[in-house]
Amino acid sequence: MLGLYLHIPFCSAICNYCNFNRGLFDAAVKERYVAALLQEIRTAADDSPADSIFFGGGTPSLLEPSEIAALVEACRASFACTADTEVTLEANPETVSPERLEGFRAAGVNRLSFGVQSFRDDELQRLSRLHSASRAEQAFRMARAAGFDNISLDLMMWLPQQTIAQWLESIDALIALGPEHASMYLLELYPNAPLRDAMARGQWSLAPDDDAADMYLSGLDRMDKAGYVQYEISNVARPGREARHNLKYWRDGAWLGFGCGAHSTRNGVRWKNLSGTEDYIAAVSGGRPASVERRVLSAAERVEDALFTGLRLNEGLDLQAVQRRYGLDFLGQFGAELQPFVDQGLLIYDHGRVRLTRAGMLLAHEIMTVFISATVR
Amino acid sequence: MNQAHIRNFSIIAHIDHGKSTLADRFLELTGALQAREMEAQVLDAMDLERERGITIKAHPVRLNYTAKNGQQYVLNLIDTPGHVDFGYEVTRSLAACEGALLLVDASQGVEAQTLANAYLAVENNLEIIPVINKIDLPSAQPDECKRQIEDIIGLDSATAILASAKEGTGVHDILEAVVDRFPPPAGDPAAPLKALIFDSWFDPYRGVVIVVRVIDGMLRTKSKIRLMATKQDFEVDGLGIFSPKAIPVDELGVGEVGFIVANIKVVADAKIGDTVTETLRQTTEPFPGFKELKPMVFAGLYPVESHQYAELREALDKLRLNDASFFYEPETSAALGFGFRCGFLGLLHMEIVQERLEREYNMDLVTTAPGVLYRVTTTNGEVQEIDSPAKLPDAGLISKLEEPVITAMVLTPSEFVGPILQLCQDKRGVQKKLEYLKSDRVLITYELPFNEVVLDFYDRLKTISRGYASLDYHVTGYWESPLVKMDILVNGEPVDALSIIVHRDAAYDRGRALAAKMRELIPRQMFEIAIQASIGTRIIARESVKALRKNVLAKCYGGDISRKRKLLEKQKEGKKRMKRVGRVEIPQEAFLAVLKMGTE
Repeated sequence: MLGLYLHIPFCSAICNYCNFNRGLFDAAVKERYVAALLQEIRTAADDSPADSIFFGGGTPSLLEPSEIAALVEACRASFACTADTEVTLEANPETVSPERLEGFRAAGVNRLSFGVQSFRDDELQRLSRLHSASRAEQAFRMARAAGFDNISLDLMMWLPQQTIAQWLESIDALIALGPEHASMYLLELYPNAPLRDAMARGQWSLAPDDDAADMYLSGLDRMDKAGYVQYEISNVARPGREARHNLKYWRDGAWLGFGCGAHSTRNGVRWKNLSGTEDYIAAVSGGRPASVERRVLSAAERVEDALFTGLRLNEGLDLQAVQRRYGLDFLGQFGAELQPFVDQGLLIYDHGRVRLTRAGMLLAHEIMTVFISATVR
Repeated sequence: MNQAHIRNFSIIAHIDHGKSTLADRFLELTGALQAREMEAQVLDAMDLERERGITIKAHPVRLNYTAKNGQQYVLNLIDTPGHVDFGYEVTRSLAACEGALLLVDASQGVEAQTLANAYLAVENNLEIIPVINKIDLPSAQPDECKRQIEDIIGLDSATAILASAKEGTGVHDILEAVVDRFPPPAGDPAAPLKALIFDSWFDPYRGVVIVVRVIDGMLRTKSKIRLMATKQDFEVDGLGIFSPKAIPVDELGVGEVGFIVANIKVVADAKIGDTVTETLRQTTEPFPGFKELKPMVFAGLYPVESHQYAELREALDKLRLNDASFFYEPETSAALGFGFRCGFLGLLHMEIVQERLEREYNMDLVTTAPGVLYRVTTTNGEVQEIDSPAKLPDAGLISKLEEPVITAMVLTPSEFVGPILQLCQDKRGVQKKLEYLKSDRVLITYELPFNEVVLDFYDRLKTISRGYASLDYHVTGYWESPLVKMDILVNGEPVDALSIIVHRDAAYDRGRALAAKMRELIPRQMFEIAIQASIGTRIIARESVKALRKNVLAKCYGGDISRKRKLLEKQKEGKKRMKRVGRVEIPQEAFLAVLKMGTE
């Protein structure tokens, strides 16, 4: 079953920590971009079965409900979407209103993912976010009122100046709202992030590494107690409300990405679209392919990718399935090298599966490098 | 060639005082090179030399100069290495000259190295012409420089030439003075051949190229020559001069400077300072002053990836073809595997060899802390030279342990005298002389244990004097010292490559500082790492690197698995560049931690 990803590269302001593919909102560009997106989706039409549509960004909630409706319609017309297709829209709290939310719902969106990041105003300001904690709570209530019964909230931990207690304030505020799904990310300071300069100017610091680890563990612990189930390193959900679309990334699934900079993986082939918005529009409207860097994965790379992505899931890897699907004797190949991690309680063999413990999830990259045999490209 | 119309000279200068620029001006003025042919500072041929702004090898160049008197002269400019590591090469280059230009930066004044080399020139009976350079600078103080030249070096500065090599000022005057004031070479054309080797290098097409100054007699192509120190005979395949391009000639007579190609396979056969004579009509006395070059500083060089051992040996073999002054022999370390113990003339020489191995031969190296050559008398009276802490016998078997001592000359503005004396005392020095020269300059002479200087003396001297103090030194002997071997244990296992030899009294401080530095340099790993310093079985310092708890990145941007993979690949690469000792991954720089302790 395919997942369809639609990239919307527009934002009202650029957050100081973000290095995703995005630019400032421009109504005229947006119109031409949506037209190009529609064209790309229709060109790719092959009636394959699909069960998820994901609007990611950028800030997809900056599109008009009518544009979302047209894009969802194009997906449904081009692929055999199941009746229960998960349609997720990433939304920033400050961009929604009851009317727009109703419009999105009418357009076919049945899942919202709010980029809340924090329920503390001082933290939001340091991240240069445009919303406040109360605006996020208001947006959530508006979404409920509009009939959304599948909502995810994103939070970020290890923010500048954040203490463990402050992080848990956000967790508690999230639990009080009661979304179906939550993502909890560790802040990643990329090399030239403007946030670095802001930190230097404000003399803000990050808590020690060990505190970051404690934030992760204590946050998840609180989510456990509130009845959420962790299913991936950074994601928890009420049972049955896991993000169907994102699971495809971790289960060696297939997805097609539309829009500038979107990534696709299907049948062992991986490609990426032109990153520049205008480059992308020009290619698509000129009838040229938007994809670049198309690459057939080697057998080894495919297995390795499946192992390290699969291990991100709480369920871990089914060793028999790995054997069947990739012909890999997991224990024979990696057993010895992984044993120290098992001895340290970071990795567990359990009913024919191998999975990370929570302490192991924090050290996932140390463990996953074991699977990497060679440098690709 | 008319002997009376030859002038052989070199330029004595401190780094950055403008030697290369002046040489470039000479080349331009004499038409040896058209301006457009010139890359700035052509005499510094190797990239490394240009980057570091220093000359490592001496390159002679012949300049054809028409003097104001209308006569044609041949001026051989013999460039000298500008670093204390290459002191012997300097003496041989000076020995090939009759005169020297003493080049002093008008704003910096006389520095220790200038002083040391000026003394050498005086000892070699060279005529010296002081040149005060960079007079175009606003901060130029030519009168102060003249005073320093008189007071510090003891030369008459009345005839000093004021110049700006950069702008071309005074360059003609210098060339005229070279002709007028430097004597022509004295030597007997009829005597048996005697030529001094003052440089040699390996050329992949021609074999070893020897650079000589003819003292007596005549050198001809196809003649049979003998290298007196190595007692080997060769037939001269070709002779030439550098203008600065190599130009073949048929003969080189008394006083001439040029090169010999004679199918010599290794540089070690053509030792700097050796004398070339005719096989059939040998000179009775070789040119005086020949010395076998001895490495002074020793360190282990290991490939990061052990399968590169053979490649490293090949690279060392090739480098050695070109540089007879470094030495290497296989060494095995429990921690680092197979590698080489290498000897160098000094720290700069070590860095150069290391950098060339990395750049030209693409080697990824772990270098261990540099040390010196200790002399051990064992209880049964045997004397051994120890170039590695690993080779030090058990304390119970040592009756006497001696370390090499240098005599260091530090020239400094007087305001820094206090801290410099403190530094020398900290480094276990013994004061020999403290001379308040006029004009606010102090010459401090100390005997210092060489191993302390190898560690971080020079950097600290520069720091405390804000770059103003300059240093020159020569190894002058050995003294007995209560030295001990200090080991570093990582997770309880001694890491042989980290052992150092230290003075007993400094051991505690050194041990603590070293363990602390190691804690900084070793990244956190999956388990706690204990770092200990020990002498014998006694632990004198301990530190720990706590276990790593977090290494994960969360977000997956729109299904970009490739990016995740790249991160993992990068991490894997990073691990490969570290050396695994037991279970612990130790980064390359940790093996040089002892050099990076800063102020203790």
